[in-house]
Amino acid sequence: MSSKGMYQPVAEKLARRETVVLDGAIGTEILRRNVTWADHQLASQPEFVRGIHEDYIRAGADVISTNSFQLCRRALYNHFRDAAHRRQIGATDLDERANRLLAESVRLAIEARERAAAGRPVAVAAAVTTLEWCFRPDLAPSAEQARDEYREILEVVKEAGADLVLLETVNSIAEARVALEVAKSLGMTCWVAFVPDERGRLFTGEEFQHAAATLEPRGVDAILLNCAPPEDITAGMAQLAPHAHVPIGAYAHIGRFDPPEWLFTDEYPPAKYRDAAARWKQMGSRILGGCCGTTPEHIAALGELR
Amino acid sequence: MYDLIRSRLQTREPVLLDGALGTELVRRGVRWRKHGLLTDAPAIERLHGEYLAAGADVLRTNTFQLNPRIYLNVFRNREHMRHIGAPELEGLTPRLLRTSVQVARQARAKAGADGCAVIAGVLSPLEHCFRPDLAPSADQARGEQGALARVFAEEKVDFLLLESMNTIGEAAAALAAGRATGLPVWASFVLGPEGELLSREPLAEAVAEMERGGADAVLVNCVPPEHITQALEKLGRCCSLPIGGFAHVGRFSPPSWKFEFFPQFIETDQWPAERYLAEAKRWRERGATILGGCCGTRPAHIAALRAWLGAGTRSAEA
Repeated sequence: MSSKGMYQPVAEKLARRETVVLDGAIGTEILRRNVTWADHQLASQPEFVRGIHEDYIRAGADVISTNSFQLCRRALYNHFRDAAHRRQIGATDLDERANRLLAESVRLAIEARERAAAGRPVAVAAAVTTLEWCFRPDLAPSAEQARDEYREILEVVKEAGADLVLLETVNSIAEARVALEVAKSLGMTCWVAFVPDERGRLFTGEEFQHAAATLEPRGVDAILLNCAPPEDITAGMAQLAPHAHVPIGAYAHIGRFDPPEWLFTDEYPPAKYRDAAARWKQMGSRILGGCCGTTPEHIAALGELR
Repeated sequence: MYDLIRSRLQTREPVLLDGALGTELVRRGVRWRKHGLLTDAPAIERLHGEYLAAGADVLRTNTFQLNPRIYLNVFRNREHMRHIGAPELEGLTPRLLRTSVQVARQARAKAGADGCAVIAGVLSPLEHCFRPDLAPSADQARGEQGALARVFAEEKVDFLLLESMNTIGEAAAALAAGRATGLPVWASFVLGPEGELLSREPLAEAVAEMERGGADAVLVNCVPPEHITQALEKLGRCCSLPIGGFAHVGRFSPPSWKFEFFPQFIETDQWPAERYLAEAKRWRERGATILGGCCGTRPAHIAALRAWLGAGTRSAEA
């Protein structure tokens, strides 16, 4: 089936107002299985990463997202003063490493689908995060700079065969807009997931009403909320749902950020997480999944909300 | 204890530092969370022990780039850290610093090196060591470096080593904060491809500032071995204090996601111990009194240096 074809069943479900199940965490799931996430494990342990995708597919995910959180050339370059310094002491593959790993992340998700989907339609979403740190909108690059970098990233994942782009943990309307415009110029389906704060606003203080008003005319295919505790997702949903005209969705994190890793807690076992998601569904969410700390068991529980 | 080192520096007898901790721990499979101090203390202690067995006179604490900012920086702000972060993140750094000293101390006791090997509390830039553009103001640096230095002083390290300092301003602030604890302070700078500080400030100016501020020694580190040689040439001409260097080997391979400095160097086999020693001999010829190894080096590199240098503090004690 062509790339467009794989998104088609998802689009149809959304049009019929059915629930679409998104996968759960990849990065923290790698840690939970007792492997370090320092290099995404895309090159060193590809079968292991693919295995997690397969587990999410078997748990019932309609959309799986690639293991590419925060993976971009800028993230590698940020560790050096400048190009001269990078050439002096840096690994020699840093100009092309991020794009190579991005393509690999898409390839592994597609492979997982081939091995585990058993004919069921599963769409592969290329997970693309803010160019700078997801929780630090103050560090965001200029729109002009961001446009070039998003073009580079999105061209790679499109070429690699992703069915859609999932811009996630986005912290400002401006960056979402730039990335969405690039995705649309490439003819890609694009979901945008924002991180909400405790008051249900963006980290910039902007409101989701304005986010929807900015992104909808530019062709966004869905707007979601992610990477915040369930209560904050609910707060954000209360702001977003009344103003959105496109499908909306949510995937919360559970547990605690313990940089550079994750602290797993028993606060939200699968059934309780499902109940939180049921509330988001009630508020209008049609896409439900899990962010950091969630597991295939959580995603399997979401299947009960279909 | 520091007197032993001081007297060697005064007579320009060589002092041998240890080699890399972070890169070697990561190479050995230690997961780089909280510098391994909470989860892999035995591996850290073992590595300290191997450096002592290799002949190091100085053990450095496993605290490079360990300060509250590395945790705070990945949150929106302090409130966000409290809201979604693990409990105890706020008080974590002093606890880790204390553990780092205790682990080094235990290794030294097990090696029977009490009374000869000394422990250096490692301070480093508060922001990423390779990003001088992010350096805090002198006031901020003095306050925050002071808080770290006081923990080391309470834990009774023998002296403080400012490592991979990338601006004169932060080095001067950290030196002042360190001296305020009463401990001796050595200052070591990371250089850029131009051969000056990574900030492009002249090395000679940094030296003058360290001399004024009361440093006991000035070093250069975290650049390739040949670049250490070039820098020592310059340092030998402009520095009245004891000088030294410790190079990294291989190439820095940053993690494919954004976080603080991550100690991963690849292609380190380009610099086996013998080749490292050959270059280090040039450092000595240029007046270096203090030698050691930075990222990518291993106990074998320190053992090679020791074999060439001859007896260290331990024989002095005997």
